[in-house]
Amino acid sequence: MDLSPFEDDNSVSCRLVSEIPEVCKTEDCCLGIDEAGRGPVLGPMVYGICFCPLSRKEELKDLKVADSKTLTEAERENLFEKLDEAKSYVGWALQILSPNTISTCMLRRTKYNLNALSHDTAIDLVQYALDSGVQLKEIYVDTVGPADKYEHKLSQRFPGIQVTVRPKADSLFPVVSAASICAKVARDRVVKGWNFTEDLGEVDTDYGSGYPNDPKTKAWLLKYLDPVFGYPQFVRFSWSTAQTLMDSKAVNVHWDDDEEDGEKAAQRQSNKSMLSYFSVSAGGNDQNATHQAHRFFTERRLKSLNTL
Amino acid sequence: MATKKKRTSNVDNDSWVVIAPDSAIDTHKHDGDPVFVRLRNPSTDAASLYMLGCGDVMLYEVKAFEDDFHSWFVGQAVQRDGRLIFVTPLDPLFLILPYLIKSGKEEKFQRVDQVVKDEEFPACSRLLSCARTLASLHHIAEEKEVESQMYHRYSQEKTMNWLKKKVERTVIALKKKNVSVGEGVKSSTYVRVKSETDNQEEDFIRYSHGLISEYITEDLSKALLTHLGLPELTSPKETEPPSKKRKLSDKPVEAGEDYTKFNSADFARKPPKKMTAAQKSLAKVDKTGMKPMSSFFSPKVKAEKK
Repeated sequence: MDLSPFEDDNSVSCRLVSEIPEVCKTEDCCLGIDEAGRGPVLGPMVYGICFCPLSRKEELKDLKVADSKTLTEAERENLFEKLDEAKSYVGWALQILSPNTISTCMLRRTKYNLNALSHDTAIDLVQYALDSGVQLKEIYVDTVGPADKYEHKLSQRFPGIQVTVRPKADSLFPVVSAASICAKVARDRVVKGWNFTEDLGEVDTDYGSGYPNDPKTKAWLLKYLDPVFGYPQFVRFSWSTAQTLMDSKAVNVHWDDDEEDGEKAAQRQSNKSMLSYFSVSAGGNDQNATHQAHRFFTERRLKSLNTL
Repeated sequence: MATKKKRTSNVDNDSWVVIAPDSAIDTHKHDGDPVFVRLRNPSTDAASLYMLGCGDVMLYEVKAFEDDFHSWFVGQAVQRDGRLIFVTPLDPLFLILPYLIKSGKEEKFQRVDQVVKDEEFPACSRLLSCARTLASLHHIAEEKEVESQMYHRYSQEKTMNWLKKKVERTVIALKKKNVSVGEGVKSSTYVRVKSETDNQEEDFIRYSHGLISEYITEDLSKALLTHLGLPELTSPKETEPPSKKRKLSDKPVEAGEDYTKFNSADFARKPPKKMTAAQKSLAKVDKTGMKPMSSFFSPKVKAEKK
């Protein structure tokens, strides 16, 4: 697995693919989808698909690909090697969603939540397989959100393909286990060799599992909190762990889509409070003595100053 | 995240982001550094910030672009206020005018250094050393030379002509810069779909007058409007159906219907002119000793009860 396309620029989303086995273009195939790194506050989330001809499903089982969570890192690396050796009939593709991508998706003006991002990534990968000529007949997915809704969404999107969304699919269907291993291996390698674009000097890489409840991860987050910029791009800013720390330890930053309290926000935006319409003194003193600047200036937000 | 962020007001900065013409900071030709000074703003009669270039040769006004949610990255530092300060040349006559008008009431020729004096803003006397001041006083005042000493007296007529020229020049500038002067748009970044030729000239003059009014007193602004031959704006007649062309105004565009006016005290509910038969019969009922329903809700009830 060559990770260099992602490592060249780890701020964006990146797709890594194996060669498409010829047999997959002629025979009916099944495809498994799984993800790695959904929960951690650190590092990317990796989506993986794995596909092979229906007739050779059983051979995958013989490789003993099992749920990646039950395996040690060494075992996973080992299994990935085996998958690579089976490239005559097994193909895979990965989408690495950088932590920066996740942050910017979830924190932008029109929020794009993690489930939607996950679904869209999965759909894109399946579409990639179809575009590459893989004869897809069956899809197996580990669920993200409510299983039936997801299944409906995928079935609608890919008519003519039988879609199975099932919790724990990675331990039920070997092709999902294989996808899970590809995703997990890629994530492990990326996290291990994370290339910090920020100038942090010698970075302490002892950040533990990356999960929010890991004390090592928390300690690392505290250590690398910059009061102005927050965190390196390695951190998912949209995670509440990161946000809570920034709220308490870093400088406050205000955005114009921040939710503020009604009365004060209205006052700041110089909106009239609803209450003012009911008070007795309302009206009558519209002729305010204060000078109203010409709209040339107000439209350009230009003000006279009386002091610096 | 439901956390509340408190917005603290901008603390005093020791640096500013300023755009200024080279002439303002050109220390080669003249002695002394450019200085920020507080002078009387002719339009508001309150203090405003101005800048005197090196050697007091030029006067500049200081305006700040200020909008919410802006900050600066300056070199390796963050500056909290996103203010952008503009230092732009200003004709010193605008600031001298109020002093001349004041002394003009005495209808005497006086020496300008006697006239341009302000205890509150002592820096105003420095306006007289600006290169353009003395040479251009004749635009707004009659001059008399006695024993090689110049005396001046404010002239409304001259001033009006001078201001009219300013308006005309501003119109040229507005046209050149494609500033939207009509009422149909609120911001210059919105491009008008339909280019209107009818009455655009008046739009330009009115807009320009509004701009110049930022630099003169309200009285002068009104006088200038008359001098320009523009009628004061009145609200549209009620009987008339809304005309296709919208009324022109210097003021920012506002909503056509203002429901707040119904809250004013003078908006009294008028009884309906015609009553139905049922209402008539109700009106005939003897109501002595009865309180109107509304009295139970008004704050005055308590006082009346005793």
